[in-house]
Amino acid sequence: MKIRGAVAAALASAGILLAGWQAGTQVHGISTVTSSTTATGTKGSTGTGSPGTGSTGTGTTGSVGSSGTGSSGTSNSSASGTYTGTAVQTRFGAVQVQITVSNGKITEVTPLQLTDTDGRSIQISNRAAPLLRTKVLAAQSANVQTVSGATVTSRAYLTSLQAAIDAANL
Amino acid sequence: MQQISDPQARGTGSPVLKARTVECMGTVISLTLAADAVVQGQPTSDELTAATAVVERLFRGLDETFSLYLTDSEASMLARGELALRDASAQMRERYAEAHEWRLRTDGAFTPERPDGVLDLSGLIKGHAIREAGTSLLALGRRDWCLNAGGDVLVSGSPRPGSAEPWYAGIVDPADRRTLVTGYPLGGNTRHSALATSGSAERGEHIWRVGGGPGFVQVSVAAADIVTADILATAIVSGGAPTLDLAADTWDVAILAVHQDGTLLATPGFRQA
Repeated sequence: MKIRGAVAAALASAGILLAGWQAGTQVHGISTVTSSTTATGTKGSTGTGSPGTGSTGTGTTGSVGSSGTGSSGTSNSSASGTYTGTAVQTRFGAVQVQITVSNGKITEVTPLQLTDTDGRSIQISNRAAPLLRTKVLAAQSANVQTVSGATVTSRAYLTSLQAAIDAANL
Repeated sequence: MQQISDPQARGTGSPVLKARTVECMGTVISLTLAADAVVQGQPTSDELTAATAVVERLFRGLDETFSLYLTDSEASMLARGELALRDASAQMRERYAEAHEWRLRTDGAFTPERPDGVLDLSGLIKGHAIREAGTSLLALGRRDWCLNAGGDVLVSGSPRPGSAEPWYAGIVDPADRRTLVTGYPLGGNTRHSALATSGSAERGEHIWRVGGGPGFVQVSVAAADIVTADILATAIVSGGAPTLDLAADTWDVAILAVHQDGTLLATPGFRQA
């Protein structure tokens, strides 16, 4: 269950990260969470599932662990699936995240529960997180008025989307 | 008297826009104005011609001073050591000071010097030129426009003058330049008016990497002003993830970074609502 342990650790880390973002400079709070989740990661997790067969398994870890469903990869240890972390209490409220793992890499981190002590959802910090392409706003050249891209030389401009848009508005 | 556009029709269909392009600084600059002449009360084509001329004059003036491609520019004289910085023009020293301020703010990820020590302000000058052009357009009384210089965008107002509708800018997919990764609203009722994208797709490795690791092939930054957006996009390509985190924490910006394998890293501003 190395995969699940790794996922649990990653998930816990994501939780810490979010807790960290939320807590800001509350170093004491963060370090407390860190030590408990580190223990979780090293102890591994309990759960059912059969790695090696690629079947779907469910697993739960300790109090700061994770529960989730996902298909364990075969012996080449590539995990895929969506995993939900346990809500972590911070002095600013509860924090819970869901991660999407594809071939052993975290492809997306979604905040599930971010509320302050009064139960209102709050704006987390501006930190960047992995994001699936399907979760960004779709855009087609027909619907934009301008195009941003890495520095376009005069020659490259000729075949660019911006040139097509400009030509349509001449 | 001409009929003013049907209020029922407003907000639907594509806005009517007029664009002009000029070539300068090794790239193409596009100026787009909303062509709603009745609302703006001025004949659009004359306005567009005049506005484009102002933008062009400004870009050419800065290029003549700051281009390292022109052998007789002030920047080239500095690079060859024929002119000392303290004897340089006021605008050269101002831009150098601004570039150095950005070097400090970005922990060195943005730098106005090439690895060989030659002063290179090109990472700042295009953004500066766009900023100045925008100021000039506003001074001319133009409120609704979109200025795109080589993929760096600054807008004012709305594509539908009088409305709160933002301009909508697409971001090129570095893996396929004919498609867009996503779009981002600028101007109108939003808090960002500028969007800059940096990467190594167009001019090879024209950004000097200071960090190790695989890095990002393309970074887009939306900000309230074009210089902040442009400098931070360049700095993040150069400095990698640590610079991205620094930028997200320090400035009111939205960032979309594309990894070599095509996966995305984004601040909440780019997350689908």
